[in-house]
Amino acid sequence: MNFFVDANSGVPIFRQLMDQVKLHIASGALKPGDELPSIRSLSVPLGVNPMTISKAYNLLVRENVLDRRPGLPLVVAELDEGSLTLSRTSQLREGLKPAARLARQLKMSTDEAIGVFKDLLEHQTGSEDES
Amino acid sequence: MSVIDLTGVTRGYGSEKVLTDMDLRVAKGEVVGLLGRNGAGKTTLIRLIMGLIAPWDGTVEVFGLDPRKEPMEVKRRIGFVAEDQELPKGLKVHQVITMHRELFPHWDAHHATTLAERFALPPDRKIKDLSKGQARQVALLCAVCHRPELLILDEPAGGLDPAARREFLETSIQLLVDEECTILFSSHHMSDIERMASRLVMIHDHQKWIDSEVDAIREGYCLAQVPREQLESGERLLEVEGCLCSRSHGAAWHAVFEREPDSCARELKNTLGLGQVMCRTIDLEEMFIELAGRSS
Repeated sequence: MNFFVDANSGVPIFRQLMDQVKLHIASGALKPGDELPSIRSLSVPLGVNPMTISKAYNLLVRENVLDRRPGLPLVVAELDEGSLTLSRTSQLREGLKPAARLARQLKMSTDEAIGVFKDLLEHQTGSEDES
Repeated sequence: MSVIDLTGVTRGYGSEKVLTDMDLRVAKGEVVGLLGRNGAGKTTLIRLIMGLIAPWDGTVEVFGLDPRKEPMEVKRRIGFVAEDQELPKGLKVHQVITMHRELFPHWDAHHATTLAERFALPPDRKIKDLSKGQARQVALLCAVCHRPELLILDEPAGGLDPAARREFLETSIQLLVDEECTILFSSHHMSDIERMASRLVMIHDHQKWIDSEVDAIREGYCLAQVPREQLESGERLLEVEGCLCSRSHGAAWHAVFEREPDSCARELKNTLGLGQVMCRTIDLEEMFIELAGRSS
């Protein structure tokens, strides 16, 4: 499982890790029941405070993305199709927040902004067909 | 009980004050990154905690003890790497390690061997013949092998190349994972603070400017850029609630707010009637430049 951290990206490190776990799940690289790497084993090679990793994991447990079993490694929770869709929606939502802010600062109307997004979805090459 | 507890501490040199009425409490297991310009008082703060100097006013407690009154008891429980750490130049690496082992009753020889191997330190080489990075690694080894409860690193990465810096960082994190010790470190490398610290304390103008969880900075602060033609003076931004500082930068006024971007833009509109203000979250480096680099 590949994780990386960009300490200059403008996104808190715990969020970067949470997003990467969710992306791995949404893309199928991590499947329900798969074990997550231990905090110790991630902390040193990533060069990140173990508490930051623990924070990311705890939040993912609280969001029911991961399952905690006493004394065992964390695993990816059983997710039904509904919550997978939900997870995809919320990831896209997060990604669009800066765009929404920009649109507001540019004083664009909602229709105008949606038009741009629609255009990107329909015409950008390599985009995948998912709604 | 706090590991470090400073209350109302004032200290300077000659007639010049460096720190004024400063409070700082650090709990067990916290990793605090100290940030500030050169001369802001980071090293003074560390020297106070180490008991190397006494406060002019206020109290300093480490592990609940006064480091000036019980220096041995306090130092025994601290590991310290100074910015300009001087190791005896003529001694060989293994002699320096032996010297430290004899100073500390709880020395962990196994740990020392493990670290020496990991750093690939040449035991028979003299300190003066080591690279800067290697000398730092010897200093770090000597600072941690008595299993300190508190590790203090003053500019640990100063003068190291990126690869050596990264290795130093990873070693410190390894200690954190193994020992759960409390760490206080000063650094000019924002990305090191971002990676390692859970909490950031920024010193400026003899005071704590910011004392916040590192994650909260990303999410709770923003930078507003107001075109100069919209506002005659940047001073007026200070009237807006949550404004920490403002300065002139090119064709705009820059101001840092302790608010989220959306709420900041709203408040600027409500208070000063400003529309179309660009407000965005900022990273530590930008924050530092805005706060510390403003022209007075």
